[in-house]
Amino acid sequence: MLSYIGRRVAQIIPLLVGLSLIIFIVIQLPPGDYVTMYIQRLEAAGGKVSEYEIANLRRLYNLDRPFYQQYFIWIRNIVLKGDFGRSLQWERPVSELIGERLLLTMVVSICTLIFTYTVSIIIGIYSATHQYTAGDYFFSFLAFIGISVPGFLLALVIMYLVFVNTGVAVTGLFSEQFVRAPWSWPKVVDGLKHIWLPIVVIGLSGTASLTRTMRGLLLDELQQAYVITARAKGVAETKLLFKYPVRLAINPMISTLGWLLPTIVSGESLVAIVLNMPTTGPLLLQSLLAQDMFLAGGFLLMTSTLTVIGTLLSDILLAWLDPRIRFGGVSEH
Amino acid sequence: MGRYGGTIRTLTSSANWDTDIFVMCNEPLINTPGILGEEITGNICDAFQVNAEQTEFTFHMREGIKWSDGTPVTTEDVRFAYEDVMMNTDLTARPPTWLRSGNKGTGTPYVVKVKDDYTFTISFDKPYGGFLLVLGISGWRSYIEVLKPAHYLKKFHTKYASKAEIDAAIKEANVEGWPQLFALKDVTNWEMTYPPALTFPSLYPWILKETSQQGQIYERNPYYFKVDPAGNQLPYVDYLDSAYVADTEVIQMKILAGETDFSRSHPKFVKLPLYKENEEKGGFTTAMVQFHATSIDLFLNLTHVDPVWRQVVRNPDFRRALNLALDREEIIDAVLYGYASLPDFNPAEYNVEKANQLLDSIGLNKKNADGYRLGPDGQVFEIPFETGVQRTDMIPTLELVVQFWEKVGIRTTMKTIDGALWTQRSAANELKATIYWVEALWYNSPVGINLWAPLWDQWWNTGGAEGEEPPQDVKDLLDVRATITTLPPAEGIKAYAEMKKLVADQIYFFVPVEKVLQPLIFSKRLGNVSDSPDAIAIGVNFSAEQFYFKS
Repeated sequence: MLSYIGRRVAQIIPLLVGLSLIIFIVIQLPPGDYVTMYIQRLEAAGGKVSEYEIANLRRLYNLDRPFYQQYFIWIRNIVLKGDFGRSLQWERPVSELIGERLLLTMVVSICTLIFTYTVSIIIGIYSATHQYTAGDYFFSFLAFIGISVPGFLLALVIMYLVFVNTGVAVTGLFSEQFVRAPWSWPKVVDGLKHIWLPIVVIGLSGTASLTRTMRGLLLDELQQAYVITARAKGVAETKLLFKYPVRLAINPMISTLGWLLPTIVSGESLVAIVLNMPTTGPLLLQSLLAQDMFLAGGFLLMTSTLTVIGTLLSDILLAWLDPRIRFGGVSEH
Repeated sequence: MGRYGGTIRTLTSSANWDTDIFVMCNEPLINTPGILGEEITGNICDAFQVNAEQTEFTFHMREGIKWSDGTPVTTEDVRFAYEDVMMNTDLTARPPTWLRSGNKGTGTPYVVKVKDDYTFTISFDKPYGGFLLVLGISGWRSYIEVLKPAHYLKKFHTKYASKAEIDAAIKEANVEGWPQLFALKDVTNWEMTYPPALTFPSLYPWILKETSQQGQIYERNPYYFKVDPAGNQLPYVDYLDSAYVADTEVIQMKILAGETDFSRSHPKFVKLPLYKENEEKGGFTTAMVQFHATSIDLFLNLTHVDPVWRQVVRNPDFRRALNLALDREEIIDAVLYGYASLPDFNPAEYNVEKANQLLDSIGLNKKNADGYRLGPDGQVFEIPFETGVQRTDMIPTLELVVQFWEKVGIRTTMKTIDGALWTQRSAANELKATIYWVEALWYNSPVGINLWAPLWDQWWNTGGAEGEEPPQDVKDLLDVRATITTLPPAEGIKAYAEMKKLVADQIYFFVPVEKVLQPLIFSKRLGNVSDSPDAIAIGVNFSAEQFYFKS
C-alpha cells in the first residue's frame, strides 16, 4: 500500500510541471495582455492613456519580456519563495487576495457539501426502498427539476421574488453594515442568516443528481442474491440495509469525492456572481476577463493541484474502504 | 450652501475601479466649466497666459494650496515632475504625445521653466493653441503629469534617497528595481483606487482611506483647496463608499432598492420605466441629462479586405441612400422614448422612395427572388452587423436599422458577440459593419475613423508606415480634425463645425440621433445635483464636491 502511495505521489510532480506550463500558455493565448485590457477600460470611461504610461506599465509587470522568461520568473518565485506574484488588477499579492476569500468560500462549499450528501443519501435510500410509491415519485419529480434548472437561474428567481415582495436586494453573505466590519459575533450570526440561500441554490443540482445516483445504485444492490440470502436468514431489515447494500452503493460516490476538493476552493462561480458573494469564484472569472495572468495563473495552478491531490486522496480512500481494490492493487505490484 | 456630513454610496462592476468616483475626485490644473470647452477657468492654477505665437504658456498656481498631508504645493513639485520624472530616461522612456509640440508623437517634447515659487512656463517649439484644453479636460487629464508631490516621491528616487533606503523600499514592495518601485509609488489619477494611493499625497476632494475586495472608502481631504461662495471648505460630504458588485444586473437591482446615492455609469436607458416605477420605493430621482457621446452610430468599414464590399460601400451615393432609408423619428420614439434630437452630423431626411431610386441608379438595381439587391458580383449584397453590446440600447436600435435597410432591398443581419472579441475583431479590421458611438465633446475631435476605416486611420497615425493611404477627401477631413486641438478654443469650435459638415456631405458614418439624454440616478436626500436637461451627465458627476445631504 505504501509503495502504491509513493508511486502515485511521484507521478504527480511531472504532471504539475506540465499543468503549470499549460496554464501559463492558455492564459496568454488571447490576443493582447493585461495592459491592453486596462487601456480599453480607461478608454470606455473616456480616458486616454499616454504611451509613456503604457511603456511604464509593461515594464512594471515584466510584460515586455519574452514568454519563456515570464514563465520562468513566475514559477521560480512560486517554487523558491512560495510567492505567487502580484495581481495586476488589484495591485496586491495574489496569495493575500485568494486567502481573504478562501475561508468564506470553504465555509459555503463545505456546508453545501454536507447539505448535498446528507439530503441525497437519505432521500436516495428512501426512494430505493420505497420504489414506485407516491414518495418516490414526488422526490423523483423534484430531482428532475433540480437537475434541469441551472443554479444561477434559481438564484435570480429567488432574488426577484424577495425583491418584489420586500424591496430588499438579497445579495452577498452579510448585511450592508457588516460587509466591511471586522469579524465579530453579530457578524457571524448575520452571515448565518444569509448563508442558507447560496447553500440551497448551489447544492440543489448536486443533491438532485446524487439522489438519482444513490437510488439507482442501491436498487441494483437490493436485487443481489446476498441480500435475499441475508433476508432469508432473518437479518433485521434496517441492519441488513445499512450493513451491506448502502455501503456498496456509497462506493462510487466516494470515488467522486476527490473531484470535489477543488470546488471547495474555487466555489460555484456563476451563482456566486449572481448573488454577489465574496467568494473565490467571481475573483477567478474577473481575473480571466481582465487577463490578470498572475492572479488567474496562481488560482488555476492551485485548483488543478487540488484536483490532482483530490484524485489521489479518493484513490487511497477507496483502497482503504474497499478490500477488493486494496488487495487487487497490492498484488499487482 | 450645503450641510456637512454623510456618505455617498456608489456601485461599480469593475474590480478595483469606480468610474463615478474617479470623475468625482479628478482635478485638472485648469478647468472648463460644465466640461463644455467653451471657456477656460482656473483650478489648481488661478491664472494663465498664452503668448501671441501660441507657443509659451505661463501658469500661476494658487498660493497656499496644500497636499493632502499638509505640505504646501510649490513649483518645486512642478520642477520635480519635469526634470526628475519626465526627463529621467530610467523612469520615462519618452514623454507623452500631448506634451509634444502639435500634439503629435513626432513633435519635440515640452520645456518647463520655473520662474518663482508659484509661477512656471510650459513651452513648445511650434504653436499649440489647443494646449490649454488638452491640459484642462481632454481624456480626463489630471494635474499628476505636471505636478507631483516631490516631498513624498523623493524618498523613492535615486537622486535624493540613499541606496540603502531605496533597496529597503524595493524589498518591502517586492518589486524588481527602482524604476518599478517609483512607478508603483507614483500614483496617477487612473490608479487612485490602488493600495499605494493610501499614503500618496493628493489634491482630490476625497482621498482613499480603505481598500478591500469589497470596494473602497474615501474620506474628505482636510486640505482640499475649494470653498463654497460663503467661504466654507468643500467637500460637504465626509465619505464616499464604493461597493464592488461583479454582476451588472445585480447593480440594477441595488439601484432599484435604493442602495446607491449617486450613479451615472450604471443606469441604462432601456430600464427607464423600471427606474421610474421604483423611484418612490427606492427614494431616488431619475434625471434625464445629456450624454457626452452621440449614443449610437452605425459604421460600415470602408477598408475591409473584401473587394466587392469595398466597391459598394465606398460609393458615397450608396451611403447617402442608406442614410435616406433611416427612419430617425422611429428610433427616437421607439428606442429612446423621445429623449433625443435629429443629428447635424448627417442630413436627417427620411425618404424611402428616393433611397430606392439612388440605389437603382448606382447599379444595385438587380434583385433576387426574395427582393434583395444583388452586388456587382451577382451575389446578394449583405451588411452583417456585429456588436459587442457596449450599451443596452444598441440592440433595439440595430433591430430597427435592419428593418429600415431591408425595406430598400439591402440584406442586413445582426449578430452580438463578446465585448473582448469585438475589440479584437475591430482592431484587426475584421468587422464589416458595427454600431458604437463617438464623443459629442468637440475638443476630443471625434470622427470615429478607427471604426469606419481602420486601415486609413492606421496610415494616418503611423505617418504612412502602416495601413493604406486614404483618398484625398478623407485626408482633408483628417487635416481639419488635426487643427481642432492645435487652434485656440474659439477657432477650434469652428473647425469642429467644419468637420461635421464634411461628414454630413460624405456620410462617412451614420449618426441616427444626437443630443441623447441619459438617466442619472441620485438619492432624493442629495442636494446640489443638477438635473437640468442641458447639463452633461459626466459634468454633473464632476461637480460632486458640492453635493450635500439635505437631511
